[in-house]
Order: sequence, then structure tokens, then C-alpha cells
Amino acid sequence: MSDGLDLSLREQAAAIAAGELDPAELLEATLARIEERNPALNAVIATFPERSREMLAAAPRGPLYGVPIVIKDEWPLPWRAQRFGAAEMLAEAEAGESGPYRALRDAGAVVVGVGNMHELGASSTGNISVYGPAHNPWMTDRCPGGSSSGPAASVAARLVAGAVGADGVGSIRYPAAYCGLTGLKSTFGRSAMAGHHMAEVSTTIVSGALCADAADCRALDSVLFGEELAAGDPQGLRIGVIRGEVSDDVAPEVREACEAAIDDLRRETGGEVREIELPELAAATLATVLIANSESLGGITPQRLNELDPELSPLGRGLLKYRVLVPAIATIKAGRIRTLARQTLARVFEEVDVLACPTVPAVAPPLEAPVVELPSGHLTADEANVRGGALANLTGIPAISVPVGSSEGLPVALQLQAAWGRDELLLDAAEALERANGRRWVEATPPALGAEPLEA
Amino acid sequence: MEASEHKDDFIPAALAAYGIEADEIELAVIRAAHQTLWPPILELLDFDTSQVPLERDPDLSQAPPSR
Repeated sequence: MSDGLDLSLREQAAAIAAGELDPAELLEATLARIEERNPALNAVIATFPERSREMLAAAPRGPLYGVPIVIKDEWPLPWRAQRFGAAEMLAEAEAGESGPYRALRDAGAVVVGVGNMHELGASSTGNISVYGPAHNPWMTDRCPGGSSSGPAASVAARLVAGAVGADGVGSIRYPAAYCGLTGLKSTFGRSAMAGHHMAEVSTTIVSGALCADAADCRALDSVLFGEELAAGDPQGLRIGVIRGEVSDDVAPEVREACEAAIDDLRRETGGEVREIELPELAAATLATVLIANSESLGGITPQRLNELDPELSPLGRGLLKYRVLVPAIATIKAGRIRTLARQTLARVFEEVDVLACPTVPAVAPPLEAPVVELPSGHLTADEANVRGGALANLTGIPAISVPVGSSEGLPVALQLQAAWGRDELLLDAAEALERANGRRWVEATPPALGAEPLEA
Repeated sequence: MEASEHKDDFIPAALAAYGIEADEIELAVIRAAHQTLWPPILELLDFDTSQVPLERDPDLSQAPPSR
């Protein structure tokens, strides 16, 4: 028997079900690999071998029986409260059965570790965490993306074949893009959310899978959704390309790779491409940030802000204090922009099936200085990334990030968004794109794992 | 009076009004965040949404009801 470590998630599940792979051996091999590879990555910030062994011993023969999974430090486990990547959270945290944990357990999966994340989920970079930053396996001095930094780095480095993240403003799709993975942000409310410390107040956060390819995401997200995400044929796909800075103010190699991928997708599906204007996109981006920020402030008092844990980063402390200063009228306006954006999208999705744009406008920036160079000049990665990542969280629609190329030896990704409830279509479209490019990008592995450097 | 006339006063005045303390590094972060976010916030405030009905408790799992 092989140790199964480098199989895809669905291959691991199938090999175990067929008796070709011993799940106990896979678990021990996974723990050994984490011990071997993680020190250079800081992707996994906690393992609990005895708990994982107990979970396997009690696991039902579900669709992911015996498959090791990393879960983001945003979800409580029965034996561990989440820390949200921070020295101090804004909400109470306690150990317990989160929705994603229950879904994994009931599917027979084994939680093998907790994935690092950006402090308080507050950035697209992953460069700040109470545990120290996770590193991008493609280049360890680059950002892994955030806030689901550890889950993404874990899968990209093949510590595990699948990980569970969360996406409140792009936090699954940014790290998927930076690490060359596929990541689905589900339609709001469709994937397991129970037990999240903001489950009762957030209107933007969802759980979701980060995996090497769309078929693995389909398998893991089916578990998180509690329903099978059936495969379909996206023939005749109507693709809308979002015009404006989200597609145009983009690093040249990223733009070129995304345009080529859109053309590949059109050809593979026998579809068509048309340009789409979203005039309120910039306002929608700001509205998302304002809404997401305000929803996290329920437990805040000025006194609490004056007594923040000194181990919280200065950036985190400053941003928390600034959030309080934003006038309420801006958040009220943001609610109106949300309505407007939803109405616009409802009309747009009568004309097209998916909207396409680069997931992020430039490849992963340095951990030390997460700034990107775009045609318009230098921007912080967060300012640049949120342009494409926010709309889905504001409006509730699903979105997926798919690797489609490389630049500077780092992955490049295309984002596809679809109408409410059409998560399956996004997975179908991602698989069509994989077929069109011969699965070149989903099968690429980081040079640190012995592969050749990526070439565009 | 232009909105920008007293922009340098806003941060310390607002923090003081709330009784929120900030050290020098935090102040620098707050000023940087304000510099980035305030201009688009002002644009947002100018955005005429009077014709946009508020979707009360929108069901974000679905398209908005057709009007």
C-alpha cells in the first residue's frame, strides 16, 4: 500500500473505501508529513494526534471516511476553542462542535490539524497572526493569502488534500489564488456555519473548501453543504467579463492569463463572451467592508478598546479603533448599495451564467511588504484584492477561484461568480476550464516539493 | 465649509469623544486607514440612494424579489 499522501482528496476517499489504503496509516503519514514540512510554512498551528486517532476510530463509513482535513482557526472543535489568529478576539470563544466539524465528523473525515489565519480575519495577505504568519509554499517569503492562510498553505504543500476555510470578504478565494488552489465561496447560508462566533450577526461569512481542483472541492463542499453538489455540463456557457478596474488595473501577466483562460472556457463549453458593466462595483466594495466591519463590533466598548491585549498587532489594534469612528450613515448607505448591487446582479444573471475577472490583480506579494504594482501604481494588496473579492460577500452570490496560469513563478487565478444557488455551475465551469488547459495548473506543485518552477 | 478643512482634527477629536486611547503607532494606523477609506466614504455619502428601497432583512441566499 502507498501512504496515499499525494493522492487527491477523492482518490484518498476512494482508495480507503476500496480497502487499498489504510486510513490509520494515512493519518500517521499525514502527521509525519506535517511534522516534516510545516516548520518552513507555519501553516498548521495545532495538531492533536490522540484526538485525531479517536476521531478515526469512531468515524462512520461516510463519503470522506478516513480522509485527513485541516480546519481554519476560525472554527471551534470539541477539544479546542478557535483563536481567530489573534491574541484577543472580539467575541467569546469556547470549544464546541462547529457546523463544519460536525459535517466532517459525520462524513467520516478526520480533523488532523488547525490551520493558521490572518489576525481577526482582517486581511487578504495572511502576513500577521498571533502564531506568526503562514508562508506560501510556492515561495516562502511570499504571502499565502488571507485570511484562510494556513488551510491554503496546507493543501498547496500537500500536508493534506483538503482544508476548510471561511470567507467573509474573499478569505477563501484570495489564499486559493495565491497558493494555486481551487476555492469556493458558497451562496450565503448554503454551507455549514453553526458554531461560528459571528454566526448570528454576520451577513457575509460562509464556510468552504480549499482543494487542489474543482472535483475535490465538490466532494468536500458537498459535505459542508450537507447535500451532493451534482456535476453538470456547462455547455453553451454565457460568460460575462466585468469591465473596469477589476479586470483592467491588473498586472499584465495576470491579465493575459485570465483573458486566455476566459477564451479557453468559452471554447471548451461552446459558449459566448460578452462585456458587463457594473457601475456600482466600487461603492459595493466599500459597502462590503463597512458592513463586515460593523457586524464585528457588537461586543465592543471604548473601555474594551482601551484594554486590548498588547499581543494584538499594532495594525489590528489601530484598525479596530478606526472601525468605531466610521459614521453610522455610511453603514446605512452601504445597506442601500447592497440592495442596488443585488438588483443589478439579478438583471445581469438573466443575460450571463457566470461573471469572470481575475481573483486578485497581482501574484502573492512579499510577506514583509504586501504591496502590489498595478498599471495605476502601487497599492496595498488589501486595497487591490478587495476590488474583486467583495461583491459576492455583499450580495450573497457564490464565487470560485481557479488557478489559470503563473507569473514570476507564482500562481495566477481567475474568479467566476454565478447567481444565487448556482454553486454547482461554478464547479462545472472550473472543471471545464481544467479540461481546456489539460489540468496543467491544478496539477502543478510548488518547487519546494521537488517540482520544476512554474512557467507561464 | 469643505469636508476636507478639518480632516486632521477628526481622528483625535473622535477618539477623545469616545474616550478611546491610542498610542503613536495605533494613531499612525488609524490615520492611514482614514486616509484610505475616508474619500470613498465621502463618495458613498454623496451617492444618491433615495430611489433605492431598503431590502429589509434581505434573504442573501436568493435573488432579490423581482419588483
